[in-house]
Amino acid sequence: MTNLELGFWSFPVLLLMVFLRAPIGLAMLLCGFGGWYMAMGGNPTPLLAKLKSETYTTFSSYSLSIIPMFLLMGQFATLSGMSQSLFKAAESFLGHRRGGVAMAAVGACAGFGAICGSSLATAATMSKVALPELRRYGYSGGFSTATLAAGGTLGILIPPSVILVIYAILTEQNIAKLFLAAFVPGILAALGYIITISIYVRLNPNSAGTRPAVPMAERFKALADTWPVLVIFFVVVGGIYLGWFTPTEGSAIGAAGTGLAALLAGSLNWSVLRDSLLGTAKTTGMIFFIVLGAGFYNGFLALSGVPQFMADWVVGQGYSPWLVLTIILIFYLIFGCLMDSLSMILLTVPIFFPVISAMDFGMSTEHLAIWFGILVLIVVEVGLITPPVGMNLFIINSMDRETPMTETYKAVMYFVGSDIVRVIILVMFPAITLFLLPS
Amino acid sequence: MHRMIQFLARITAIIGGLVLVALILMTTLSIFGRSINKVLHSTFFQEKLAGVSQSLIDMGVGEINGNYELLEAGIAFAIFSFLPICQFYGAHASVDVFTSFLPAKANRWIAAFWEVVLTAVIILIIWRLYEGMQRYIGNGETTLFLQFPVWWAYGASFLAGIVSCIVAVYCAVIRVIEAVKGENILPSEQGAH
Repeated sequence: MTNLELGFWSFPVLLLMVFLRAPIGLAMLLCGFGGWYMAMGGNPTPLLAKLKSETYTTFSSYSLSIIPMFLLMGQFATLSGMSQSLFKAAESFLGHRRGGVAMAAVGACAGFGAICGSSLATAATMSKVALPELRRYGYSGGFSTATLAAGGTLGILIPPSVILVIYAILTEQNIAKLFLAAFVPGILAALGYIITISIYVRLNPNSAGTRPAVPMAERFKALADTWPVLVIFFVVVGGIYLGWFTPTEGSAIGAAGTGLAALLAGSLNWSVLRDSLLGTAKTTGMIFFIVLGAGFYNGFLALSGVPQFMADWVVGQGYSPWLVLTIILIFYLIFGCLMDSLSMILLTVPIFFPVISAMDFGMSTEHLAIWFGILVLIVVEVGLITPPVGMNLFIINSMDRETPMTETYKAVMYFVGSDIVRVIILVMFPAITLFLLPS
Repeated sequence: MHRMIQFLARITAIIGGLVLVALILMTTLSIFGRSINKVLHSTFFQEKLAGVSQSLIDMGVGEINGNYELLEAGIAFAIFSFLPICQFYGAHASVDVFTSFLPAKANRWIAAFWEVVLTAVIILIIWRLYEGMQRYIGNGETTLFLQFPVWWAYGASFLAGIVSCIVAVYCAVIRVIEAVKGENILPSEQGAH
């Protein structure tokens, strides 16, 4: 068997293992090991030699160390009381409108996304704050949970974002520029959800109650209380962008800042710190195990020449770049419903990215890489809120036992619709994503 | 036994987490030091307050020497120490849509099978890490700035790796027992991020 054939055979083997519930990192490691072993003509020595340093090198990576730091930052942010102050501020401005408490939840999610790089953490944290309020003002169960599940996806889209860090490393792009590019699409996402809410409450008038308006002075006072969020966001993202410090240093400052905020809020005692560390440990361990597996598997794929072959083949067929892009995005939408976003990105970007970069979209290679990254991030995140297996839906539904899952499913489809409209807009007008970047 | 392994996995993760916190504080301090150092080197301080700024610089106000090296060594240790707890709580990501329709018995066997394979892979990885450490002990290589032997970093990670192996073997045995007896013993909280 040639190496190329070996590479192609590894796909069905990998998928079979994954569908048989192998841990995804393990499946990638096994395919990577097997592939290396066979590509070396059945000689285990090169693989064993590679293993001596590869694991340590991956785990000690300077740029990847941003991940545990951002995760701990998210844990601290949850404890810092910033989720409450964000929701309070958003609610005092929006709460009295039709569907306003739900809109406020989305706004607060967007704000929380600016200090938290993870979707599930954002969804879970904001649910604790916003779900009781939503229910108190007569918002229906399914509508409330769907709003928070969708709002949670803003956590990963609005920088900092763990997944964008992985994408940046995979495609050798500048993390700061990717963060900057994600900013406007993130705001658009929040606006899209707010519009969705206002459509939803008009179509389903019984799904939302009313809430009295808050005097102006109180609104601005509530807004002023959110200053720590703004400070941390601008120091971390601004500092990285302006080159004051590296992204890793930025994540350390962010973690230290949110930790300090949690300490000042009086919620950081030893048992809470221990739980934050354990939470960070579990997620970090899981992510790095997948990253390790992906490193071996993608190393083998590159050796087999599959990505290059695919790129040459697609270009040789003369397909329209836009058609290819559309097919790839639809693929992500479907697979995103089955697999977690990180595994999806690690598995597919090394194959799809060379294909996309070989095509002419009328923009520079760097812009193309950044634009594609943002699009991919959005479509895999749609998977988090798509029935039947969207992770965000499960997290939130488990926090609201009274609401049957089917109610959440029904309401969340409106938000999925809003996501799809946004992806189409961003595909048609790349400038929305790219105009903030220096050319 | 169960409590002991659980304690081992948790305490290892907490130690790794505290190392992570230490690295965060070190990096933050280092950035502050670097920024102050830059200010002290600015024209204003060099002209008006030359004495003060020079003595501060001499005191070592600036970037922490070798902080990149410490970060890399520390983060590797932290991540190796996060692996046991991941395995103990069954936190590794997997796809269960296609197996969810199978009976519980079949699912327990599937879980036991992958747990055994995962344990074998972890032992392989840690064994090779040990060999990697031996290589650096042999050639006596040191880091660029702080000049500490590279194998120290490998050694710390290897210690955490031993815990991974112990926890992995325990989990594999228990998952097989779960499959044979048809009951759940270990927690299983498939993680996501």
